[in-house]
Amino acid sequence: MLGMSRAGLAERWTLFVGALLSVALGVALVQSSLLLLISAAQQSSDDAAVPMLGIVLGGAVFLAGFVISSTFAFTVDQRRRDLALLRLVGGSRRQVRRLLLGEAVLLGLGGAAIGVPAGLGVMAVQTWLMRRFEFVPPAFTGEWRMWILGVSVGTGVALAVAGVLVAARRAARVRPLEALRESGPAARVMTAGRWVAGLFFFGGALALVIVAPHGGPAGGQAMAMNVAMPAAVAVVAFGPLLVPVLARLVPFGGGVLGSLARANVRDARRRSASVAAPLIVLIALVVGNTGAGESFTASGVDEMARSTHADFVVEGTVPARPGVATVSAETSLDAQVVTGSGEDQETTDVTALVIDPRAYAVVHGTSVDVHGQAVARGPGGEVSTSGSVRVRLPGADLGELPVVASVPEMMSGGASLLLPPGLVPAAALAQAPTRSFVALAPGADASAVRADLARYGPVFTAGDWLRADAEQRNSTNDKVMLVVLGLGGLYALIGVINSIVIGAATRRREFAEARVTGLTRGQVVRSALLEAYAVTGAALLLGTVAASAAFFAVLATTSAVTGSATLKLPWPLFAAVAAVALTVTGVTSLITSLSATRRPPVTLLAARE
Amino acid sequence: MTMTPAAVALHGVSRTFGRGPSAVTAVDDVTLDFPRGGWTAVMGPSGSGKSTLLHCAAGLERVDTGRVLLGSTDLTSAGDAELTTLRRTRIGFVFQSFNLIGALTAEQNVALPLRLAGKRPSRSVVRATLDAVGLADRARHKPRELSGGQQQRVAIARAMVTRPEVLFADEPTGALDSTAARTVLDLLRAMADAGQSIVMVTHDPGAAARADSVVFLRDGRVVDRLAGADARGVADRLAAWER
Ligand SMILES: Nc1ncnc2c1ncn2[C@@H]1O[C@H](COP(=O)(O)OP(=O)(O)OP(=O)(O)O)[C@@H](O)[C@H]1O
Ligand SMILES: [Mg+2]
Repeated sequence: MLGMSRAGLAERWTLFVGALLSVALGVALVQSSLLLLISAAQQSSDDAAVPMLGIVLGGAVFLAGFVISSTFAFTVDQRRRDLALLRLVGGSRRQVRRLLLGEAVLLGLGGAAIGVPAGLGVMAVQTWLMRRFEFVPPAFTGEWRMWILGVSVGTGVALAVAGVLVAARRAARVRPLEALRESGPAARVMTAGRWVAGLFFFGGALALVIVAPHGGPAGGQAMAMNVAMPAAVAVVAFGPLLVPVLARLVPFGGGVLGSLARANVRDARRRSASVAAPLIVLIALVVGNTGAGESFTASGVDEMARSTHADFVVEGTVPARPGVATVSAETSLDAQVVTGSGEDQETTDVTALVIDPRAYAVVHGTSVDVHGQAVARGPGGEVSTSGSVRVRLPGADLGELPVVASVPEMMSGGASLLLPPGLVPAAALAQAPTRSFVALAPGADASAVRADLARYGPVFTAGDWLRADAEQRNSTNDKVMLVVLGLGGLYALIGVINSIVIGAATRRREFAEARVTGLTRGQVVRSALLEAYAVTGAALLLGTVAASAAFFAVLATTSAVTGSATLKLPWPLFAAVAAVALTVTGVTSLITSLSATRRPPVTLLAARE
Repeated sequence: MTMTPAAVALHGVSRTFGRGPSAVTAVDDVTLDFPRGGWTAVMGPSGSGKSTLLHCAAGLERVDTGRVLLGSTDLTSAGDAELTTLRRTRIGFVFQSFNLIGALTAEQNVALPLRLAGKRPSRSVVRATLDAVGLADRARHKPRELSGGQQQRVAIARAMVTRPEVLFADEPTGALDSTAARTVLDLLRAMADAGQSIVMVTHDPGAAARADSVVFLRDGRVVDRLAGADARGVADRLAAWER
């Protein structure tokens, strides 16, 4: 069987380049993310680096699994006739399965052989990105471990074998008679597995959309950010039903080429769906998650703007001044909250604000009644609203303190603990930064007061400060998105290219037939291009549908948390992704169909296999 | 029971495709013996159910009613594993479109059924089989480097390498010119003379005349049977039934 595997791979190499590339890239990404994660966990670096790398690693495994299994399923589907032939001359179901698994192992090993060195390149890029965005100090380096070789080879083989398992089971049920039909009754595309997976992930996405508004600001945001993935998988599962229907809505123009392209999209549902799948995931993840992130930021800014009743924000401590009605001076401290004891003891890093409760209430529009030996739960959440907490500050252990009050959690987060004055020793306060929210007295001269306040630190109008604060938050958000989604997006695009290349490799004969029927080479190429555009259009639409599921969760969550539903759609990003998708599918389709029609049609039609 | 039991026997076999008003009964209550050691040709108009009959007889197609016996083995009640084993050991196929595996050389294609059966085919057996179809010098060529007639002869060698009880052929000369077709028919004749049971579907009266007997099919039913006729006789009978 291994001999057959090898011979098969050598003969149909164009069919397998895609599968090999997707395994190699999967190995490279997983290896690089894993090495960086371990390096980051050992070298002391920014707290954000480890969780972010965790997300990247998870995303890499998900995408690798997804792209590899869909690529394999597609290559197996394209070879149904070969496999039927094997059955016809006496191959058993087990042998068909073993053949495909053998191929998968070879592809896994080959993919690892390419992926390990490629992983070093990926690691250099990822390290550069992370240094650039200050997730890690400039001196940070990803360290090579010898054992990663074993992990990478194992990853390659495991990904490839897992990817082919379902397809192999399906292929083993190919009937021998299918070898005798030139274009057999296309295998049923909406398999039971697709229905189950589609409904399962649809249910998952729906559950997240329903539960997110009840998850509070932090939980709700986390859930909403996780809607796009299952929604995309559900849409992809129903792809063979949806893609051809939508693709036919794309205006092809009249004429013979348009109708040929339309017929091809309808006839090759499997191929259309398999080109669309990675695009759907790409759009859903990038547009859905970026849109959700931006919307939450916008919602947080609106909420802050509505609840902040200050005229100026001063980065410094402002005493009582003429023309000033209220000053809420807030000193920010890095605190640790300790919960539990003994084995179960857990420490959480939070931000604590030392406030004047009366002034805080006036400026932030929410009463907070805390004094003496007690704390209040701040807008950042993370601490329970009752009971007691043990608070540690750098250089001072405040001991067990009751939580006597709380302010509503805010979309944009903030401090988790509000401490009354007098609780914190002066020594601990000495180095901590203080920000003052200043409300003017009625009738005061704003510019005169502003000039006066400048003595205590940089002065901003409240509006400017909120915008700057949001922009800063947003840019951290964008950076994370860029690192996490950038590589994933690239991977999804490679999945698209794979599908088109595999599709074209098996279309030589079809193209040749079209040409002997009287189409010129140019017409064949143009019709393939039209088809690619129709499928891409359908994929963009379906990706948007999946992304919309995330947007529903965003609307419901922002409405529940802040009282006003907010949605900010990332139109420029969507336009950019759509342009990239159309360019990639267009160019790939052009190159592959040109190369598939390079030889004169007769040479192709003469060979009967 | 006759003296020599049939190689393949069909008892009341029917096969209908589709349902409702669009249903097509491709094989309609056929009872038929294909004699052991004989070459039987199946003729009939296009769409008369010849291929379906052949597929049912070879256990490739499920039957709706009736029984198919290969020797004394009931194909209609055999499971997938048993049918697979039968294809490896007791049945050989040749088809109009040669259905060789493009990735493998002629030699490897011929050796394939043996390897699938878990045997290590000796080179001499494979070479001898290729030699029997006159292609010993093309052993290392891939299918696309062979002419149509040569590809069909490789397919015959592949079917014969397991020494099957019955060779099923569906229009084996359908895609060949008259010279290549004659080579293939000569080969089948020699095999039949050596005692091989052959069931062959064909459109060509000339090809049918090389067989020992001819069965005529129309609308899924056996309408006639002719033994030892020449091409002329077969053509006349066919013309009569096609009218
Ligand atoms: N898989 C199938 N599904 C539906 N109908 C079928 C199928 N196979 C055969 N038929 C129908 O059964 C009838 C007999 O077909 P069959 O292929 O056996 O004819 P044939 O005699 O071999 O014709 P030809 O000489 O053209 O090859 C036809 O009407 C055909 O349309
Ligand atoms: Mg036929």
